[in-house]
Amino acid sequence: MRPLPRFRVHRPESLEEALELLATLEKAKPIAGGTDLIPLMREVEVDVKHLIDLSRIGELNFIKEEGDYIRIGATTTLSDLVESELIASKAPTLWEAAASMGSPQIRNRGTIGGNLCNASPAADLGPPLLALEAEAEIRSLDERRWIPIGEVFAGPKVNSLAEDEVLTSVRFKTPPQGAGSAFEKIGRRRAVTLALVNAAAYIELEDEICRVARLALGAVADRPLRMMEAEKRLMNKKLSEELIEEISALCSRLVRPIDDVRASAWYRRKMSRVLSRRALLKAWRRCMV
Amino acid sequence: MILRFRLNGEWIECEAEHNETLLDLLREKLGVKSVKRGCNVGECGACTVLVDGEPVNSCLVLAPLVEDRSVETLEGLREKPIMKELIEAFVEDGAIQCGFCTPGMLISAYALLSKNPKPSEEEVRRAISGNLCRCTGYVNIVKAILDASERLRGEG
Repeated sequence: MRPLPRFRVHRPESLEEALELLATLEKAKPIAGGTDLIPLMREVEVDVKHLIDLSRIGELNFIKEEGDYIRIGATTTLSDLVESELIASKAPTLWEAAASMGSPQIRNRGTIGGNLCNASPAADLGPPLLALEAEAEIRSLDERRWIPIGEVFAGPKVNSLAEDEVLTSVRFKTPPQGAGSAFEKIGRRRAVTLALVNAAAYIELEDEICRVARLALGAVADRPLRMMEAEKRLMNKKLSEELIEEISALCSRLVRPIDDVRASAWYRRKMSRVLSRRALLKAWRRCMV
Repeated sequence: MILRFRLNGEWIECEAEHNETLLDLLREKLGVKSVKRGCNVGECGACTVLVDGEPVNSCLVLAPLVEDRSVETLEGLREKPIMKELIEAFVEDGAIQCGFCTPGMLISAYALLSKNPKPSEEEVRRAISGNLCRCTGYVNIVKAILDASERLRGEG
């Protein structure tokens, strides 16, 4: 374990100030909860001279309905998500993912923006936000853009943001009445565990016919993946356990897992099928209540 | 840098390094020894403290980030009714062996009972899921937390 690098901590009170610091300081990085960044800096050499603390910026901490969207500020903690009635009722896939992460101590510090920008292939918020077709708001001093959530992930533990950019919020269309969504995860134990595989499903039914189906898996490729082929085959079909079983089997061929210290590629393929089935079945049942 | 925050109810000002964790600041500079250094990467929970009332791993919190915030440790909580009851129950139920995990365990239990006076066994287990104990096997720890909650409700 290495000592922390010699950086300076800056504590801006506004986003404007944070963006200015990022644009002007060399080797500057944002920090929110620090639950990923601090262990990372203890494990490998991180070339950083300045840390910009985002946790004091009030305008980055919110969960709100905005027109047709639910929008979540980047420094919203995992505990904030778990305590939100809105997330629990409208986006259970996101709620279940947040509740499955880390320990109470980690959930009190870890943030939605941090989980995405850390860009772990196993990031638990990746699949649910993909399944919700979320977008990320990316800001720099002179630009503001929305990108599909999948584009935040550029590779294992690499995000696509430029050095002067910050992920400031995430939004997705508020799921209509009758939509169902779910999250499933396999880890070594039930709590405080990294996903060996995780999965999220989102379904909208119309007179028992599937009109929207989205399925995403994590820890099965260099970034969380949408299962587009599988989704296509659910569209405009009457759902059944048999159909879901068939689609789930297809998913174990759509993933591109690797062997690593936590699980083998073979096991991850098998579990892709199991978790796809569980997530789809649960999302489907939730459409009907 | 000069850092100003509330430690166990009292505003303090102290010198802190930019790259120093709250754990190091508390143990090494401020002599708050109930906060233990276990894994140093947020897995064991031995360094758990309350920041603004919520349990966090002090090994993952940079000291400069607690400016203006409230930090509480066992030293400041031991006379609170909930904590007194927890400590008594831990002793009576044999929920302590080597004692290294105990302060962190007590902080997590305190945070739980402060919010939820009548937790289920499952809720107790979830609340201490971020606190590792290598001696007792959790059975007596869970029992002690449940016993304390009963007594606080006047049922024990």
